[in-house]
Amino acid sequence: MAEKAAMTLIGLKKTIGSKPIIKGLTFEIKRGEVFGFLGPNGAGKTTTIRMMVGLMDITEGDVLIEGKSIKDNFKEAVRHVGAIVENPEMYPFLSGWKNLQQYARMTEGVSQERIKEVVELVGLGNAIHEKAGRYSLGMRQRLGIAQALLHKPSILILDEPTNGLDPSGIREIRKYIRNLAEKENVAVIVSSHLLSEIELMCDRIGIIKKGELIAIEDVKTVEDHSALKDVHIEVHPLEMAKDYLQSEMDQTIAINKKELIVSAKREDIPQILKNLVNRGMDVYGVRILQSTLEDKFFDLIGENAIE
Amino acid sequence: MNNFLKLVWNEQIKLYAKKSTWIMIALIAAIVIGAGLLAKFMDSGIQTEEYGADWQSELQQENAALAKEMEEDEFAQFSNPFTIQKNEYYLENDIKPLPYDGWEYVLENAALTSLLSLFTIIIAAGIVSNEFKWGTIKLLLIRPISRSKILLSKYVSVLLFALMLLVSMLAASWLVGALLFGLNGASPMIVQETAAGFEQTSVLKEILLGYGFGMVTLVMMATFAFMISTIFRSSGMAIGLAIFLMFAGNTLVMFVSQYSWSKYILFANTNLQQYFNGNEPIIEGMSLAFSLTVLAIYFAIFLAAAWTAFTKRDIAGN
Ligand SMILES: Nc1ncnc2c1ncn2[C@@H]1O[C@H](COP(=O)(O)OP(=O)(O)OP(=O)(O)O)[C@@H](O)[C@H]1O
Ligand SMILES: [Mg+2]
Repeated sequence: MAEKAAMTLIGLKKTIGSKPIIKGLTFEIKRGEVFGFLGPNGAGKTTTIRMMVGLMDITEGDVLIEGKSIKDNFKEAVRHVGAIVENPEMYPFLSGWKNLQQYARMTEGVSQERIKEVVELVGLGNAIHEKAGRYSLGMRQRLGIAQALLHKPSILILDEPTNGLDPSGIREIRKYIRNLAEKENVAVIVSSHLLSEIELMCDRIGIIKKGELIAIEDVKTVEDHSALKDVHIEVHPLEMAKDYLQSEMDQTIAINKKELIVSAKREDIPQILKNLVNRGMDVYGVRILQSTLEDKFFDLIGENAIE
Repeated sequence: MNNFLKLVWNEQIKLYAKKSTWIMIALIAAIVIGAGLLAKFMDSGIQTEEYGADWQSELQQENAALAKEMEEDEFAQFSNPFTIQKNEYYLENDIKPLPYDGWEYVLENAALTSLLSLFTIIIAAGIVSNEFKWGTIKLLLIRPISRSKILLSKYVSVLLFALMLLVSMLAASWLVGALLFGLNGASPMIVQETAAGFEQTSVLKEILLGYGFGMVTLVMMATFAFMISTIFRSSGMAIGLAIFLMFAGNTLVMFVSQYSWSKYILFANTNLQQYFNGNEPIIEGMSLAFSLTVLAIYFAIFLAAAWTAFTKRDIAGN
């Protein structure tokens, strides 16, 4: 991915009244990448997004979209962006289809076929001809995404797209977003205050707190097999298993309720289990803690106090 | 299709997709039909029969009867002199009176332009602020279109709406009038009272003036409501203020008319009727050219204020 960045933030600042809300954000988002914008309530995610799309004036710094400044070249810059800012709000008295037509008329080259295509993509089906005022939150979220995709943007910005969705809805959105990034080479920015909801769809996660970017983390999509992981093994009898592993296999062991916690490499796990079973011990379950990102997030954020 | 026309087209779709718009149109139709039926079938004093060949003596008899009635009935002392003088004008100028017809009905309905103003104010006050209320403003303003163009398309849509109301009302009045009262030809002459006494004039000219004067107030107050609602991003205050000023404006001017600065008040100038039919302007030293200049300045200020508020301010918290 040595491509030019799709979006670049350069020392972006926002002051409302005399209160600094965003205190200098600098980062890039590349084509084909899903960037998670993570922070607690009131951290400044929505404010940043409003500046990215030109809804709010930039106090200092700039946002470049495909190299064009949103400040000085609004039309050329915003042309490449599709977005939902906060809730996906629609004209309640128009059908979903007519809502989309409104936006189609505002950008050149969006055909009726394209509208059909995005409706298909977000899976709204026949509901598209019902009034948007009757849509459930999940349906509005889908219509919002359809609206953002109409003009084939190269950057898609979704402010809390998982807000109010049920688990299957979140899974579906995750699927579209991965698809868009991987197949259509779109740069996607998703904001959230819940790591667990976006962790699985993001390549990188930027963590924002009180208007400052405090970390950018790569989310490893390929597991690092040589790293030590905490493996929880539910085994009986516990003490016997612990003694055996400590003496014979030289493992560091802890006991937590009915589980042994073994720090081991992924490749060593089958051998450990085989040995336990061969010695007549009963193994009821094994689990590996997926991620340490969550812990890291909490370490970085501290307690979630809104100021 | 041109980019700007598409924006106006979008606005029109939103306007006519709402029930409230159709309620306004239905109300106007109901009033035009209802008032016509009342005039026709209730005893409303309009003269529907045609005079005969000897219309002069008919008028003289009518006047004699009216004069006699005045001796007996106090109320008649107020209402009858107008008819007597009008009849005398017919006799002196040898004009045969025409019966009441559809054209006169259209002319009388010029008073309904204040209803059109009211409806247009409501639309003007909502066209920008509703986007904030619905939250759709965020989706509207992230398109590759300048905010100025979007605002202009909304303003033009308000004027188009007013034009649609005006044309519908004219058409409905003419149709209802023609069906109920008939028409005295394509462009009959009528006799009207003016400040300088009775005068014969073309009904078409009077219709044009009557509705034209109404449109001046309509455009100014709708633009005012458009500005207020764009600045405050809510429609309630804009509607209230515009309607209050539209009806109370004249009275306010009367209160301060002894001061010479009062002639610069918007409402001293919205009624252009004061320069026609021998009327005197409400404040000394005013002229048609003066009023038109003052109106143009207010108009420009309203639009400039709306434009500044719409293009310069952050879209936050919606
Ligand atoms: N118009 C405004 N005037 C003053 N302060 C504002 C304004 N808009 C936002 N703020 C403040 O800016 C900060 C960031 O708000 P923002 O909406 O960007 O947070 P967020 O990260 O999107 O939070 P959430 O997760 O709740 O959506 C908050 O402290 C908020 O109070
Ligand atoms: Mg937010």
